[in-house]
Amino acid sequence: MKYELVSGLETHVELSTNTKIFCSCTTEFGGEQNTHCCPICIGLPGTLPKLNEKVVDYAIMAGLATNCEISPISKMDRKNYCYPDLPKAYQISQYDMPLCKNGYIELSNGRKIGITRIHIEEDAGKLIHQRGNTYVDYNRGGVPLIEIVSEPDIRSVEEAREYVEKLQMIMRYIGVSDCKMQEGSLRCDVNISLRPVGQEEFGTRTEIKNMNSFTYMEKAMRYEISRQADLLDSGEAITQETLRYLVEEDRTESMRGKEDANDYRYFREPDLVTIEVSQEKIDYFRSILPELPDPKRHRYVEELGLPETDAAMLVKYRKIAEYFEAACQEVSNPKVVANCIIGQVFRRVENETEKEAFQISIPPQYLRDLVLLLDQGKIKMNLLKSTLEKMLDTGKPASELISESDMGGIDEDTLHQLCSEAIANNPNAVADYLGGKEKALKSLLGHVMKNSRGRADAVEAEKLLIQLANETK
Amino acid sequence: MSITREDILQIATLAKLSVDESELEKLTKDMSEMISFADTISAVSTEASDFDNINGLINVMREDVVEESFDRDEILRNAENQDEGYFLVKKRS
Repeated sequence: MKYELVSGLETHVELSTNTKIFCSCTTEFGGEQNTHCCPICIGLPGTLPKLNEKVVDYAIMAGLATNCEISPISKMDRKNYCYPDLPKAYQISQYDMPLCKNGYIELSNGRKIGITRIHIEEDAGKLIHQRGNTYVDYNRGGVPLIEIVSEPDIRSVEEAREYVEKLQMIMRYIGVSDCKMQEGSLRCDVNISLRPVGQEEFGTRTEIKNMNSFTYMEKAMRYEISRQADLLDSGEAITQETLRYLVEEDRTESMRGKEDANDYRYFREPDLVTIEVSQEKIDYFRSILPELPDPKRHRYVEELGLPETDAAMLVKYRKIAEYFEAACQEVSNPKVVANCIIGQVFRRVENETEKEAFQISIPPQYLRDLVLLLDQGKIKMNLLKSTLEKMLDTGKPASELISESDMGGIDEDTLHQLCSEAIANNPNAVADYLGGKEKALKSLLGHVMKNSRGRADAVEAEKLLIQLANETK
Repeated sequence: MSITREDILQIATLAKLSVDESELEKLTKDMSEMISFADTISAVSTEASDFDNINGLINVMREDVVEESFDRDEILRNAENQDEGYFLVKKRS
């Protein structure tokens, strides 16, 4: 039978505050075990938590950036469960009065994935199981998290991925989290159920815990979807349970069933007071939110005339978008700037971390000045490209790398001479070209460019080369 | 509120206690009595919200400024077991 996926995600995002949610210990990642701890975050009796105001601020920003309502009044609750990663045997979280609710994220296919709620809570410690013992490190215990709970609106693995990618991009843009899946600062629990296509009612769901990479999330979802489909096809029922994904074996495994489901016995956290958020505060945070990736991308396409794919590449990381915008100042054709960044500059920032940091040897003003030379007709496109490479190598401005004599290109006679030389000196390439190999023309053009030190007009040179090559027939 | 044997078994599971079949009846009875005793309090008529925020405090917060954490030896001092700077506990499922 044909089934439709119904999926909702719970996404945990570690906030990049300096200190933990209830004490003044650092939140820095790594560090020797149990060195970022104090009596509050290891849950010693007699200690009292005190809420970090930045956690509330960041959660409000996250809520506003995902179209949520911000609750004027909320509170913290105790979620009771007994496991060594929680030294107090309860986690301080929010239950029935989360800070943000009723938001959404819009996907590229136009579908809106509802966000039920965003609440603030503390992270647990790290456990290492070894030699029959459990080693506990509480450095991460008490690091602030927001949990973003989506509605069961997701209908495909691709939508799930895009939803998480969008959340990641937005949280990075507004600067509330670095969202590094490999360091666990963004992780997801994925709820999955299937229903026959056309059926309204949801099927029984399972939940895969703690996905911390896009690849594994997709693989785990695909595995679980086919497992459930097989069961349903053979007339068996789905058991409601919590699963873990085993990477090496590419399968899911039961952690606990419905019967062992935790009963968290939530109640109001008596050690913390009510959180009130004023309208002024909400207005303030709305006013300081940066332009978000989606509106920015639309603007790049509509106002700057960039192709959709280029715009998408530039907005993916906020620093790249800022660099692009700074380099576009006064430039008549932003497409040239975009091409320079996507073509030349991107080759020097390979992975995600480098793109996120976007540390480039030249400031955006240097790129702008170079493109302005093109705008003013002082240099040609090919000289722009070769100069940009030199600028990126040396960190120097164009003015130090292009001499006056390089500007203004070369005259017609010189171009004719260079092209004739290229034809005369490369009879094999000419023969190849005339034999139908288009590529051979590029090699001839390369000679002209090299001998003109990049000053020749590539378009003119190509025309001339074709003409001269045909004349040799 | 009446307490059933199933309730007792569920509470025992959550509390990680093992309950013997022979104790079950007595525990069910005791628990029922305890709950009834506590129910007395429900007889008092109040608005639930009166107890929500007794001291009327709002927004007691701290600035996001790092202070030095405790020395690790100090943190681990009361631990029953420790190894290589970690708290050490028995592995449990």
